[in-house]
Amino acid sequence: MEVKEIDMRGQICPSSLLTALREINANKTALRSGLLMLSFLSDNRDSTATIPESAANMGYGVSVVKEDDSYRIDVFAQPTEMEIRNS
Amino acid sequence: MSGAGEWITVVTSLLLGLAAGFVMHRSDFCLAGMLRDLFLFRSIFKLRILLLTVLATMVLVELARQTVLISLFPYPGFGTSGLANVIGGMIFGVGMVLAGGCVAGTLYKMGSGKVVSAVAFAGLIVGSVLYAEFHPVWKSFADKMLILPGKVTLAQTLGMQQGMVISVVALLLAIPLIFWWRGGKLVRSSAADGYLQPWKAGLMLALLVTLSVLIIGIPLGITTSYAKAGAWIVNLIAPWHADVLSYFKARAFDYPNRLLGITYCGGPGPAFDAISLIQFPLIGGIIAGGFISVRLLGEFRIHANVPIPQYLSGFIGGVLMGLASRMAPSCNIWHILGGMPILALQSIFFVAGLLPGAWIGSRLLTGIVLKETH
Repeated sequence: MEVKEIDMRGQICPSSLLTALREINANKTALRSGLLMLSFLSDNRDSTATIPESAANMGYGVSVVKEDDSYRIDVFAQPTEMEIRNS
Repeated sequence: MSGAGEWITVVTSLLLGLAAGFVMHRSDFCLAGMLRDLFLFRSIFKLRILLLTVLATMVLVELARQTVLISLFPYPGFGTSGLANVIGGMIFGVGMVLAGGCVAGTLYKMGSGKVVSAVAFAGLIVGSVLYAEFHPVWKSFADKMLILPGKVTLAQTLGMQQGMVISVVALLLAIPLIFWWRGGKLVRSSAADGYLQPWKAGLMLALLVTLSVLIIGIPLGITTSYAKAGAWIVNLIAPWHADVLSYFKARAFDYPNRLLGITYCGGPGPAFDAISLIQFPLIGGIIAGGFISVRLLGEFRIHANVPIPQYLSGFIGGVLMGLASRMAPSCNIWHILGGMPILALQSIFFVAGLLPGAWIGSRLLTGIVLKETH
């Protein structure tokens, strides 16, 4: 799976969420097919709530991990029920 | 600074600022975001928290007033309302969205290492000084546009008792909040370290505003200090010019603090007065509160690699907020957390301008500033 990293650290509010929404929409085919994962790097604490909330509403899986002084927010295809059963 | 009253003022303001900055940083309590997200993302989560904060402050302050703990009411600094409040509110609304934070948000975000907020801070001072250049013209316009002379609060306008009007409005606000509370709509999950639920932060801020009213006599206010800081700079560079600007001779307030046994008297001019005692420690406290919070979390890092349009947006937003907070007069913290809870007409008018202003700011932000960021 390809991983596209987007560094949004230091950016003005609410650039992080807007950028994330744009990237998710621009890459939705690759994201949904599981070929791509978007990895956002943000120092905006609010983004750890708003990006996962929006991405989850669109049906994507999300994970948030703190890395040093920032947060890494990964957005990827949610595994289907079949895939979960087979795994 | 000579007596105990002055020292208590400074220490109180500093502690209030520290607590406010810390709490706002931990909960992402961004007042600019609360209105902006309504227009930008159709999200009202933060707006619910703002309503809760106003309601809690309303109840606490009214309880204090009923028990005669507040000696001066309506607070000093609030006067007759007019069109200037609406226009000031609108320009402020545009500015706070472009700057990515209001006058308080800019401070705690700057303390947490945000460079754009530091640029907005510089813009705030520049805007406040620019206002001094056309103060006489604006003051004369604002005075002509006053309505309901002598009526400071909604209760005074309606000819009713403050307690009665506050009770009715508080009940009306409480109804949706109870529904949201029961539906879990006041809580949000966040993966941020040390996250403080915004509703808790709202209640804490309500308490801080009430303490400010009880001890200092007025709610939290910041922006006259920006003008004062600017006045100092002008006085340093061009003292002959500072001397002719009538705004620097104006008086922001002059009232007795009966609790501390002193009189506060001060204005935006380049002198050490009550504004310096009350507002500078508050500003320093909010910046330090944000800094302490971020340091304890190990999240302090300065990221200056930000697209130029965002720096410009931060600066222009800061200038607009600086200008507007003198034109309105005062900022969103003063009006939303201070004036709205007592239903001051000036604050109601300010908010009436703030909403369309935040909408315009949101359009500018998405249409110009963030259009080609990536």
